[in-house]
Amino acid sequence: MLPFFAELVTRTDEARRDFETHPVVLDAVAHGMVIERYRKLLLELYHIVWHFNPVCAAAASRVPDSHRQVRYFLYEHMQEEAGHEQWVTNDLEAVGVSQTTVNAYEPSLDTLALVGYNYWAADRRDPCSVLGMLYTLEVIASVYGGAFAQAIRDALLLEGERGVSFISSHATLDAEHMAELRQVLNTITDEAARAAIIESTLLNFHHFTRMFAAI
Amino acid sequence: MSQDHAGALNVLMTRPYKYIRLQWNDELRALRLRTCVKPIQCYSLAAMTELQRVFSDISENPGMVRHYVMTSDVPGVFNFGGDLSLFVLLIRARDIESLRMYGRRCVDLVWWMENASMLGVHTTVLVQGDTLGGGLESVMPFHKVIFERSAQAGFPEVLFNLFPGMGAWNFTIRKAGFSVANEMILSGKLYTADQLYRRHLVDVVIDDGEGEDAVEAVMRTVNPRLRGTLAALEARRRAAPITYESLMEIVNQWTESAMNLTDRDLRLMERLARAQARKAGGAAEGAVDEVKRIELDTAWGEERGTGVTAWGAMAS
Repeated sequence: MLPFFAELVTRTDEARRDFETHPVVLDAVAHGMVIERYRKLLLELYHIVWHFNPVCAAAASRVPDSHRQVRYFLYEHMQEEAGHEQWVTNDLEAVGVSQTTVNAYEPSLDTLALVGYNYWAADRRDPCSVLGMLYTLEVIASVYGGAFAQAIRDALLLEGERGVSFISSHATLDAEHMAELRQVLNTITDEAARAAIIESTLLNFHHFTRMFAAI
Repeated sequence: MSQDHAGALNVLMTRPYKYIRLQWNDELRALRLRTCVKPIQCYSLAAMTELQRVFSDISENPGMVRHYVMTSDVPGVFNFGGDLSLFVLLIRARDIESLRMYGRRCVDLVWWMENASMLGVHTTVLVQGDTLGGGLESVMPFHKVIFERSAQAGFPEVLFNLFPGMGAWNFTIRKAGFSVANEMILSGKLYTADQLYRRHLVDVVIDDGEGEDAVEAVMRTVNPRLRGTLAALEARRRAAPITYESLMEIVNQWTESAMNLTDRDLRLMERLARAQARKAGGAAEGAVDEVKRIELDTAWGEERGTGVTAWGAMAS
């Protein structure tokens, strides 16, 4: 029997490749973005990051004792991610977007759908589905984040981490998180939780791709 | 054709495929497979599943297919080889089991090609564009390898501290000898179709646009003496045997080496993936040009190209 992480990679690989090979994503990774689009992407990301810990908390509150390792994993992860929305606002400030604009920004329907699904899944589905959200976001950050950050630096002539600190640092941080996430995913043995995580991964890739494509 | 074969062929040809297209030539009993893993032509998990399904259908119906021909439907690209993003994902997740599984699935496809003569199938590949790493490895076991003149190929893996692990050593040594295998695999250099022909890795080089005629000519030449040709090719296998165990041992070693890649190596791999993305987006330059740039950087003893900041970050 395949370890669950391998099953998750295999069963969601087409969704990952659908993201990777979307023309807008291909172009962004190859050539970066004009500043208006990059600002909009960061504004969308701000909402995803801002809701990340509340979604994890909602899921953690429902995780049964039989999966206490997932609950502890979420606690630790939330600790590490706390305050990272500030990294996004710092990058936004570096590219000329004020905190007032960030506060007033209304996220796109695709971002609302992504965040909304994750709250709903944590609240109404198997709470382990939250691991699908983590997997998706960490794959995007650790596999594509580095190349994308470099493309943005090249396109916008940004120096060092200025303006790309959130994406760049998560490309590195999430590489470490991926190994930890694999370990916790491999502890999931019940089919209902596994199915929920796969569904969540497919949904998160789908909505994230649509959000990115609409930028 | 028997009723059984007709039924099996119907199943094979009408199965829904996403990453390959099949064509059937009834006269020659030739199955033509065109890969179309768009926009980045590589051996993705899903594409390999479809290929494996086709191979299983052929194996389960001996005599149904006499000629198997493979080409690419993506202009300018035959195959970029492994799914680099998947490699990065699995290496960063420290998931050696999944990476090994990927490698073994590649070897299983190569092993089917190696055994095609025993199944009564003559295999021909037409390469009309760039083919790198695993893409070139997948070409080597074909009985007849045809390159159009503008096609380029090589094993760039050493540039990011890896080596081609799915049959490159075995098949290059068999076809061209140790010194050519050493030169190609340890240098990471790219070769033109003519250079590969001179090294005996390519059987036929023809001008661009003449590939289809060359494929037809090969099949027409082989068809009247198919049994004799396949028997001779089978004897050739025995004379210079390649074992499944050896391929598996090498792919296991490849997996362990991949797990030791550093962040810098992975960033070079990402650089190639980014170049593939540029070509897929319609740019004139792609992964092949990026490999040449990395070769130049290596020759200069420094990494250069897209700016001081980029290279400063990569050196860390």
